[in-house]
Amino acid sequence: MLQHIIPATGLLFTLENILWINIGVFIGSVFAAIPGLSVILCVILFLPVTYSMTAIPGMMFLLGIYCAGGYGGSVSAILINTPGTPHAAATMLDGHPLSEKGRTKAALKIALYASTFGGVFSALMLLFLGPQVAKIAAQLGTAEYFMVCVFGLTIIAGVSGKSMIKGLISACLGLLISCVGSDPMTSYDRFTFGISRLYLGLDLAICLIGLFALVEIMAKAERRLDRLNLDTTQIKDDGVITKAEYKRMARPVLISSIIGVLVGIIPGTGASEASWFSYNTAKNMSKYPEEFGHGSVEGVAAAESANNAVTGATLIPLLTLGIPGDGTVAIMLSALMINGLNPGLSLFTTQGDIMYAIMLGLILVNVFMLLQGKFLTTLFAKVVSIPQEILTPIIVIFCFAGAYSVNGNYFDVGVALVFGILSWVLRKLELPPVPILLGLVLGSMTETNFRRALLISNGSPSIFFSSVYCIIFLVLIVAAVGTIVRGKIKERKANPQKED
Amino acid sequence: MKKKILSLALVGAMCVTLLASCGGKKNATWKVTCPWAPSGVAAMVSQQAATKSTEYSDTITLVAEAIKGDAATVNTWVADTKANATELVFVGEGLLSITSILDPGKMQFSYEDFAFVENLYSSIFVLSADAKLNIGSIADLEAYVQAGNEVSVAVNGATGSEAFLAAALFGSMGAGDKLKLTPYQSAAEAAQAVARGETQFAVSHQSQILETFQQNGVTVVCAFDENDIANGPFEGVEGVGQHGYPYFRNRCFVMARAGTDEAKVKELKELYGKILADQEVADWLNGTMLLEVDTMSVEDVEAHIDNVKNIVNEYKDIVAG
Amino acid sequence: MSKWVEQFNGRMDSWGRKLHEKEIRIPIDLVTGVVFFLLGLGVLLVMPDQVAISEKDVVNGRAFPTLLMVVMILCCAMLVGKELYKLATKQPLNWKVINVQVEIKALVILAILVGTWLLSRLTGLFVVGAVFCCLGFLLYFRCRKKSYYVITLVLAVAIWAAFRFALGVDF
Repeated sequence: MLQHIIPATGLLFTLENILWINIGVFIGSVFAAIPGLSVILCVILFLPVTYSMTAIPGMMFLLGIYCAGGYGGSVSAILINTPGTPHAAATMLDGHPLSEKGRTKAALKIALYASTFGGVFSALMLLFLGPQVAKIAAQLGTAEYFMVCVFGLTIIAGVSGKSMIKGLISACLGLLISCVGSDPMTSYDRFTFGISRLYLGLDLAICLIGLFALVEIMAKAERRLDRLNLDTTQIKDDGVITKAEYKRMARPVLISSIIGVLVGIIPGTGASEASWFSYNTAKNMSKYPEEFGHGSVEGVAAAESANNAVTGATLIPLLTLGIPGDGTVAIMLSALMINGLNPGLSLFTTQGDIMYAIMLGLILVNVFMLLQGKFLTTLFAKVVSIPQEILTPIIVIFCFAGAYSVNGNYFDVGVALVFGILSWVLRKLELPPVPILLGLVLGSMTETNFRRALLISNGSPSIFFSSVYCIIFLVLIVAAVGTIVRGKIKERKANPQKED
Repeated sequence: MKKKILSLALVGAMCVTLLASCGGKKNATWKVTCPWAPSGVAAMVSQQAATKSTEYSDTITLVAEAIKGDAATVNTWVADTKANATELVFVGEGLLSITSILDPGKMQFSYEDFAFVENLYSSIFVLSADAKLNIGSIADLEAYVQAGNEVSVAVNGATGSEAFLAAALFGSMGAGDKLKLTPYQSAAEAAQAVARGETQFAVSHQSQILETFQQNGVTVVCAFDENDIANGPFEGVEGVGQHGYPYFRNRCFVMARAGTDEAKVKELKELYGKILADQEVADWLNGTMLLEVDTMSVEDVEAHIDNVKNIVNEYKDIVAG
Repeated sequence: MSKWVEQFNGRMDSWGRKLHEKEIRIPIDLVTGVVFFLLGLGVLLVMPDQVAISEKDVVNGRAFPTLLMVVMILCCAMLVGKELYKLATKQPLNWKVINVQVEIKALVILAILVGTWLLSRLTGLFVVGAVFCCLGFLLYFRCRKKSYYVITLVLAVAIWAAFRFALGVDF
């Protein structure tokens, strides 16, 4: 590890990287602060920009967006009682009441400090745990990798949306779409319907622009957000946090960061789960549980530290196994792979300098998030009220420019449009889009490992039960499916009106 | 007043973009497209050449880009590029000698669509074996094959150069019907597969098997060349040519679009010549990448393509069925 | 001009009010099951034409998509079976209400998106499509503030310029 740290530091501390981190942090904070825009949308929109960059600045930019997105959502949650991102909902419970008590600046400061602590803690966990998990991952062979992919897909299909069956249908659809283009093993064309542009397959960024971004534009037909008139003069308090308050927040922040890391490592779970779980844990452990929901400093700190502690942890399965911890980091996988960085042990050995630079960079991202949060919070607060008349066409132009820039042709823009329409239909049919994303990301890996394993075993499926790791993953898959199904049944019993 | 300022801002923004678009450049940027994995040998060498280009030319800057897709990437490149476009692409025997025979419908281009600039490198592939098999020489390998043992070989792609080298070697040994080729996504993955025991053998670039070899996971059996490997960590490994088995080296041709000014092609060739002659580049190629600098003429290129075509025609039944 | 706009908006509003009341109820799980069941069957049917294979392959290029479609068809069968069981036992089905006005508005947005794409493609100038897109959406939102038009157009040109000159995208 140490042999990589020094060269990695040299690779990281360049003007270019620092600039991209700051641009990423700024954009991420702005996007997350605006209700209706999400971090995943932001990462999708800016993914094509990274295609022309090398690995480190590209990843620093995306990580900047990702981490700042964790904090940015709290700005609108505190100021206007509307979470900018879903995972800021728990922050809103105490953040906004605190703001109403005339402590807006203090609430924003608590959110920022807790987010930074959670983010740095998570980055350190990634730095120390990542290489160890990668060593285990190196022992996995073809059949084991297939089981890992199935495990990741099953969990995500299970937890996305209301119905596990629909999640599985979505995952199958995503995997099918990933089959379009050259067969990864024989190079024969598949499902190209004679269209030569499809021989290369469908680029992830282009599909995602349609699936997640253009569909949001079409969803403007469903609602019209009124302009969120924010009076920024309300951020006029001194923002003082007392020593006693810092003391009260220390324990929940640390425990929530640990919870965030643990939740983040499990594929399919994300910042929302972590923040709610931590919020409840903090409430149960607090000496002042009655303050929760009425402006508790512990509540804000717990929720915010947990949702940012997820950021580094989701990268652990991504970088070691190629299994994304959540939808947003799934997109980052393509930014890594386009630069020839394939997940696994080699990432920490032969390409260790780059990888350690990225992991150290995650700490730096959190430091810049703290600095920007300290000095630019008023600006972030102002963007909350950008009118959607301006925002909507700008997002469309970004989508189209991004789709075009991937391969430099308008065919891809058309493909993005087709995916937008498909996503609209799927939305109407209540099929979750995240399993499609995972299917697209893991498609090639799942298929090649499946086919190669059968090739090695001369067509015998017994290879998938032949090793200890295969059995472990099989047990995990069964346990995960059991837990998810049990949860859904409980949910249905608790709320019989709602169908699963 | 407010309206005027806003209007001026709009006009200003448009003027700035128009003026910016009129600006000329003395230094031409040549985009070099590698149609294989960004982590592969060709992409890495291309990146190194691009980094060095500014040292040796004031008029040409090479920019390396890797778009994995093989024939599909080159199809798109040919369709989108005209003569004298400042674009270069890599092709090798895989496309010109293998795909052209096995799956010609997939190629919407031919050798005539390109103007040869230079050969970026020559690579001698090696056959490695699971260390547990104790196969360290061609004689050991022949004995193993004659004993009727299973022969499964990890290769990069089902119908790539590595697959044909394996087919040619084991086919000439009379084990073509026993040969099982297991394709992997990259040469590096294929090299790791043999160490994990998923296959008995692997064909790969020397650099890609080095780490596993040093960890005693594999033995290196032979090299796909006429003579023994002369230097580097695999010095002394036997060349299959001496034993009468077919072979070819892996090469990577830098191509411009056909019809590009001869003077420009010559200038590019000279630039590549200077870059490849650079001591730092040569040391990196030989020492780290375990490749050879091997500048070539058009005639050399055509001879290489024909040699590989002959091997493909002879052993295509083993590889493609 | 403004009178004409008022008239146009008034007509749209009255259509909108009428359409807003029109709703379509669909048994969502049943429809999803049937649609994707048919999709699965369709993919299996076109597979021989669309996926070439070599007879020598132990596991060929059709194996994985076939497996996926089988899983998808099984899931759909479960979804449809569950709904049919509810129907048989007279339990309420899972219904979804689709508002016609919302769908028509979505179609208008789609038309703006397609128009943007077509204009960019046909003229070969991305900036033309971008300007159309801005105007299209501002009109869709019935924006009357001239400053919004100026800001949006400046931003559209700026984005084009950023991609064109900073990122080297040639459009």
